[in-house]
Amino acid sequence: MVRTRIRRTQISLLYGALIVLLSTLLLGCAPAEDAAIDRPYSVAVFVPGVVEGSPTYEMLVEGVRRAVDESGNATVRIVEGGFNQAEWAGGITSLAATGSYDLIVSSNPSLPEIVNEVSQSFPEQHFLVLDGYWEGNPRLRTVMFNQREQAYLNGYFAGLVTTGGMPDSNDALRIGLLAGQEYPMMNQVIRPAFLEGAQAVNTDIELDFRVLGNWFDAGRAADLANSMLDRGVDVILSIAGGGNQGVIATARDRNAYVLWFDSSGFHHGPGVVIGSSLVKLDQAAYERTLEAIEGSLEFGVGEVLGVADGYVRFDDQDPNYIEYVPEDVRARHADLMQRLMDEPMEFAIPGAN
Amino acid sequence: MIYYAIEVMAPLLLAGLGGLFAELAGVLNIALEGMMLAGAFAAIVTASLTGSILAGMLGGLLAGLLLAYLFYFVGIRMRANIFIVGLAINLLAAGTIPFLSSAMFGTKGVLRLPNVPRMPGLFVGVETGFPLLDQILFGHSFGVYLTVPAVLLAGFVLRRTAFGLRLRSTGKNPETLRAVGLNPDRYRRAALLISGMGAGLAGSLLALRLGVYLPNVSAGRGWIALVTIYLGYKRPVGVLIAALCFALAEGVSVAAQGVLQIPGTLLLSLPYILTVVAMIVYSAMRRVAPSDA
Repeated sequence: MVRTRIRRTQISLLYGALIVLLSTLLLGCAPAEDAAIDRPYSVAVFVPGVVEGSPTYEMLVEGVRRAVDESGNATVRIVEGGFNQAEWAGGITSLAATGSYDLIVSSNPSLPEIVNEVSQSFPEQHFLVLDGYWEGNPRLRTVMFNQREQAYLNGYFAGLVTTGGMPDSNDALRIGLLAGQEYPMMNQVIRPAFLEGAQAVNTDIELDFRVLGNWFDAGRAADLANSMLDRGVDVILSIAGGGNQGVIATARDRNAYVLWFDSSGFHHGPGVVIGSSLVKLDQAAYERTLEAIEGSLEFGVGEVLGVADGYVRFDDQDPNYIEYVPEDVRARHADLMQRLMDEPMEFAIPGAN
Repeated sequence: MIYYAIEVMAPLLLAGLGGLFAELAGVLNIALEGMMLAGAFAAIVTASLTGSILAGMLGGLLAGLLLAYLFYFVGIRMRANIFIVGLAINLLAAGTIPFLSSAMFGTKGVLRLPNVPRMPGLFVGVETGFPLLDQILFGHSFGVYLTVPAVLLAGFVLRRTAFGLRLRSTGKNPETLRAVGLNPDRYRRAALLISGMGAGLAGSLLALRLGVYLPNVSAGRGWIALVTIYLGYKRPVGVLIAALCFALAEGVSVAAQGVLQIPGTLLLSLPYILTVVAMIVYSAMRRVAPSDA
């Protein structure tokens, strides 16, 4: 009796074990896509700085979030890496080392090189870097914006202003460019293209180029702007981070004009900021992240997007632009946009690998 | 160039004069940078709330005063290490302001508030026929005209009043003060509070000139103000001369960028090279002729 009970128990256990084994085998043989659907696609955004107060990084985060929300089967984590560039490689490495993310997204011209180094240690990790350029790493996709076209758009507008396009334009044919710091893209692309654009209006236009030395000293930026205005400049393209506020304060006091770069800056000084060139970083971040989630993003490619692609624009829809900039200036600038749409400018990326 | 140099000099001088009081009382106030930052933030917020430049400056002054009292309480009263306390206050200002800015106005970045008036210029358009003199004397922002009386007042208080004498004694020989029944800590407290007011006011000038607050608006000027105390041989007129020299070097580096074919980044190092050279000269002169400086 007892022996029979033991045998029944053994048979029950054997059946149970068989069921578990069969279930495991069946689940293990399920198609790979089904397994992927069960686990959400995981995205990390590494911000080399802080998000708040930086239009570029706000666009980056907004674009990635939109893609993740739209996909319905992905998650995103935002990591702020701070302003110390020496710590960025460590930050990226930490994220890759977790092995938790299918894609790490970031944005900065210096990051492709860092990411390329990090990816040697984590060959399974995929990266997407915007506003940077790298080709040949099979796990890295970069998206660069044609900054020659962007600077040319600003330069052409500055040329229209300094040749008498605005009520407070002076007689001197001199435009200004204030850079936070000197770097290859500034010296080899933005500065020459800005002057090239202005001289497309009038070949006699001269450029007064100044350097702030950092990205935050608005007091010194105000002094530099004053010095430029003393020498006959009436319009300044300011690419100086927080220093831009000093340029605006000076331009407001002395009836001069300011141009903005990368994002719409009209709200910083209506009537003072009269032109803004834009890069659609949010759109690029959204589209490429969505492609990655859907599995269609090609890696190992360095992509360059410009006016003809719709990613480099001039903000001609802002009410302040329409209110403060005369119609003939707007019309001439719209003609330039059309020309660049039809005939994109060559863009040699400094230090491209 | 002279005109802008004087504008640059004003906040350096106010912070330097304040720091001089603390230094003479035997307390090196290395928190001038943080106090300037707090003064800048408070000035913009107060000016926005009241619509008054004067109220903004008062707000900046009080913010500096508040941090200075904290410095006194922890560093002097609680006997904590002065250097650690000073560094902590700099970090406190740099960390707390973005938090407050975010909580109150929803941004950690550029703080542009409505209703902030523009810093008025005084004696605009007045001419004597001597352009250099005009640049030195006329058309400056309101805050600049506070600095000359501040130098005279500091000199008078430190040299001609019993308070100044006791304050200097606190730094040189506090035992003498105790021997006559006076408490040196009271003079250290007064000196620190004066330095806080000077740094807060200096910060308010920086921000109100721009009409906005932005992170790191002081941009190291608190540290340079500290250097002017030593370069100025710990005398108010000396601090004035040191601040003016630094401002002129800054003015040259700004103006030269538009004229010389030298990389701007190199020209911008001129004020700092000058500071290092001046410190070497100062050190050499002290060795040759030791003084009370």
